[in-house]
Amino acid sequence: MTVYEEQFPGLWQGFAAVVKRDLTLAWKRPGDVLNPLFFFAMVSALFPLAVGPSQEQLQLSGPGVVWVAALLAALLSLNSLFLSDFEDGSLDQLILSPQPLPMLALAKALAHWLVAGLPLVLVSPMIAVSFQMPGQTVEVMLITLTFGTISLSMLGSIGAALTVGLHRGTALLSLLILPLAMPVLIFGARTVSLAAANDPVAAGIYFLAAYCILTLTLAPFATATALRISSE
Amino acid sequence: MAIWNFLHKMASPPHFYGLAAKIIPWFAVTGIALFVYGAIGGLFYAPPDYQQGDAFRIIYVHVPAAYLSMLAYVVMAIAAGIGLIWRIKLSHAVAASAAPLGAWFTFLALVTGSIWGRPMWGTWWEWGDPRLTSELIMLFLYFGYMALRAAIDDTAKADKASAILAMVGAVNIPIIHFSVEWWSSLHQGATLVRADGPAIETTMLYPLLAMIFGFSFLFGALLLQRVRAEVLFRERRSRWVHDLVMPAGDTQ
Amino acid sequence: MKPRQQRMLAVGLTALGVLVTVGLTLRAFQENMMFFVEISDVVQGKVPDERNFRVGGLVVNGSVTRKPGQLEVEFTLTDHESELVVAYNGILPDLFREGQGIIAHGRMGDGDKFIADEVLAKHDENYMPPEVAESLAKHKAAKEAAIAAESGTAPSD
Repeated sequence: MTVYEEQFPGLWQGFAAVVKRDLTLAWKRPGDVLNPLFFFAMVSALFPLAVGPSQEQLQLSGPGVVWVAALLAALLSLNSLFLSDFEDGSLDQLILSPQPLPMLALAKALAHWLVAGLPLVLVSPMIAVSFQMPGQTVEVMLITLTFGTISLSMLGSIGAALTVGLHRGTALLSLLILPLAMPVLIFGARTVSLAAANDPVAAGIYFLAAYCILTLTLAPFATATALRISSE
Repeated sequence: MAIWNFLHKMASPPHFYGLAAKIIPWFAVTGIALFVYGAIGGLFYAPPDYQQGDAFRIIYVHVPAAYLSMLAYVVMAIAAGIGLIWRIKLSHAVAASAAPLGAWFTFLALVTGSIWGRPMWGTWWEWGDPRLTSELIMLFLYFGYMALRAAIDDTAKADKASAILAMVGAVNIPIIHFSVEWWSSLHQGATLVRADGPAIETTMLYPLLAMIFGFSFLFGALLLQRVRAEVLFRERRSRWVHDLVMPAGDTQ
Repeated sequence: MKPRQQRMLAVGLTALGVLVTVGLTLRAFQENMMFFVEISDVVQGKVPDERNFRVGGLVVNGSVTRKPGQLEVEFTLTDHESELVVAYNGILPDLFREGQGIIAHGRMGDGDKFIADEVLAKHDENYMPPEVAESLAKHKAAKEAAIAAESGTAPSD
């Protein structure tokens, strides 16, 4: 048994290696990080341009717009989650490795969040300011967006794994993931709206945290199974 | 082990194909009889409601459709799960056949609900309402499931991939339902399933129950017929389908 | 780590995750999350002036006044404790009637009047013929009268 343990690195090392590799790849290809960010900013800018600059309307629609834009931006980057690994064959290596696949799937999804989700969260206050949202909403928005984008990355990893080898991937991925992501949008946008009106927000934050933990717990298993099926 | 042998025999496509053909007429006749009884009873014999008058009669289509939209999803998710875990092909065929039926029932429930909502609530569609919204998201879940199936050419792969989606969706349905519930409440509470018995007069209740069971039997008949067609297509290269289509002695 | 240990770890982490989820959900349910504002809160001024909200209550009997030839209507809503005058300009739903529960969306106007831009009827889950409803109402009134006679207080509604 000691031989076995010496030969193969531990769980945590496999996990860390995957995260580190994906972060390095993102560093070498900054477009992967920047494109969703630009998309996020532009979609958010579309609404004031389309609806008009009325301050009252902007304040009212701000939370919803930020959430819809974040959801779409996260979705946009999900397609590539397993695609390059699939194309160069490293996905097969992941599947064949002695490491448990759900753990590696979790690492991939978390790396995706670090690359595509976290930057959205960090940029969101700028958008909140441009929508003239009241100051107390920014904090709530940061918390809800953090939980929400993690849930989206986890849910998205299931969808990305299911569609990895398919031609019409992107549109299909949205079709699969959007209905599942609607609770995140509802809880998130509603909670920020409540914060803007000085109403109690704790319930919404608890729900988002619960959903985040649930997806963190169950999604890796679904993603791992989906990866095995897709690479058959 | 006898039970396993029995189940394996049941799940064998040729056996199922023949058995379903015998069951379908019974389901169809029972379903149509209940449907006719429910329709006549609901439209002509049930008294008008004390508040809504004759308009409440749309309940005889709306409630069965909404009920079946959920039942079809449960059937689909369970069949998909069984197919994935125990690798039973017939089970996947059932899941694949249930999805379009479920989507149509969901659509019917949404349309009748909308027609009912206009005069009674004063709106065709109310985004704030939990049941309307979660039913709509259910329709989207069906769309996603069918789209994923359609996108994968290899049937065995499509079966497994869509099974995962169906199961993930099943976990999410209570969450979706609750999320929209949290956001508002306009739809009335449950009429039939309540601790103190149904809150509906018996002359109105019996036709409604007949409609629900009638719809269920018709769903069963339609589902079995769809599964038969699906099985026939999937087994198109097998011996028994060949024999079925071209009986012995009938050579080309 | 041996495969058996790995499996134990996976089961343990999953169970932990589900437990935390349940705990957080239960915690969320303890928080206040109302869809519409109660009339008593509106009357006590617990809502901001410059914002739309929903208010839910029963239409007070005999309070509905219409301006002749116009859609404008005014009625009073109650939660059995406080009352609120609502003004609305539009088509009311069929189920709108006195004694009915409704939800109005709008904002506070001048002079403690609620200006509704949408009125929705909330119908209940009971279905019965009119005669049954009448007889139920009669018996309810008789029962309440009996209780009132016993306890010596007037029925509250």
